[in-house]
Amino acid sequence: MTYPAELTELIEEFQDVDDKMERLEMVFDLSDEVIPLPPSAWTQESKVHGCQSEAHVKVELQDGKVILLSGADAKLVQGLMGILSIAINGTAPAQALLLSPDFAEEMGILNSLSPSRSNGFRNMFDKVMRDIRMLV
Amino acid sequence: MALRDDFPILKREVNGYPLIYLDNAATTQKPQVVLDAMNAYYMSSNSNVHRAVHTLAGEATEGYESCRTRLKEWFNADRAVITSGTTEAINLVAHAWGRANLTAGDAIVLTEMEHHSDIVPWQMLAEERGVELRYVPVLEDFTLDMEAYAASLDGAKLVCVVHTSNVLGVRNPLEEIIELAHGNGSLVLIDAAQGVPHERIDFKHSKADFMAFSAHKMCGPTGIGALLIDGDVFETMQPFMGGGDMIETVTVNGSTFQNNEHKFEAGTPRIAEAVGWCAAFDWLSKINLPEEHNRLIKIARWVSEQLRSMGISVYGRHDEKDSAVVSFLHPKIHSEDLAHLFDSRGIAVRTGHHCAQPLLHRLGISGTVRASFYLYNTMDEAEKFVEQLKLITERFG
Repeated sequence: MTYPAELTELIEEFQDVDDKMERLEMVFDLSDEVIPLPPSAWTQESKVHGCQSEAHVKVELQDGKVILLSGADAKLVQGLMGILSIAINGTAPAQALLLSPDFAEEMGILNSLSPSRSNGFRNMFDKVMRDIRMLV
Repeated sequence: MALRDDFPILKREVNGYPLIYLDNAATTQKPQVVLDAMNAYYMSSNSNVHRAVHTLAGEATEGYESCRTRLKEWFNADRAVITSGTTEAINLVAHAWGRANLTAGDAIVLTEMEHHSDIVPWQMLAEERGVELRYVPVLEDFTLDMEAYAASLDGAKLVCVVHTSNVLGVRNPLEEIIELAHGNGSLVLIDAAQGVPHERIDFKHSKADFMAFSAHKMCGPTGIGALLIDGDVFETMQPFMGGGDMIETVTVNGSTFQNNEHKFEAGTPRIAEAVGWCAAFDWLSKINLPEEHNRLIKIARWVSEQLRSMGISVYGRHDEKDSAVVSFLHPKIHSEDLAHLFDSRGIAVRTGHHCAQPLLHRLGISGTVRASFYLYNTMDEAEKFVEQLKLITERFG
């Protein structure tokens, strides 16, 4: 699949790194990319189920473009949210909905994560896509 | 360390680093003799047990039943029902004893230290039968409130208590718990899943009425465990699951049941696993368990002291009878992040609520990182674990 240029670049950066701790650190650093959804705004509606830790997402449309707000208590989850934000923020809903979650696998992130975390990422991705569909 | 050579998995690398396996409270690794015994069973004796007269069926039956014999010998028990594990063993008591002996208004005493497998079956039964559940609190020193326990016994038909906490490693004062319960006329069920790997328990001597545990936490295969039952209590239990192997006769009008352990073992049992468990008992019988326990609790104590000196909260006391479990929370790094970082250096630890949410609620936390040590773990591994934690803290804390 073809990804937005910024995401393609990110995938290549991850693929160049062999050390798992370094890859994890790169994911941690990407937590800065999220538009925060503060814990005070965490609700049952925003909760991502299937994550071992607390993870919350909220999708809004601003001028017809997707904006993902997110928050989590684990840095790794925040980093995954950051990657998803890079992929979909500022895009039209129709374009965001074309995104495949495979990018996480191509970055070697899913391989470096436990099955429950991988499922958590998938659950987060699916929830964001579901929320986008509900807005359009 | 010679016994490490018996475990082929310990030779592997994870993420480019030698595996340091510290998730033993979840499951232990298997020595080669267990793998060989299971493989040999499937290679040469695989058959179904009990009914058939052919040679293979005889060998399979002998293999399966020798596990029961081994259980009775190892734990000094009259009755040993083979189950899928601790969880099924406890559910078996809830159904086979609970339904036959508990009515509305009866009480069961549990503790806040229990694993979910010793809470949920009782909650389900309580809802069905109108039975009251009472929980013994855990104190700030990570021990049970024994005064509250004594006060909770009035009217209790059953006490269910964990031998050793899977989160804290705390070994409960079972002798006192059982004595008080029996003085009150209550039966006692011990969840010994974390106890049997570390302590050679004499079931009859303990005077417990039920004891549940799993093979996989003591170097045996997954999918098999046992329920030891006092001989007299055994007679008061009704069959739980119906099916083949547990019956005496079946007609279209009804069935009669076997009067031995088979009445609780409906269906084809876990034959290869039973054979593997026998091999695990043989292997363990060559180990000086008390000596190893002392070595391991010293390692756990050293690790917990190191962690505390780094400003890390450790949940547990590491007394001499406790298991070698170190549960902790890093002040700056989230437990799950920490577990992933450890994994990147080949170190396997566990995070989360460890299926003991009421205990964590009492401790005011939602989860911990847990490093649990077993027979093949060394001081060198403990030092590497602490060293990595320091490096991770410097880089990410």
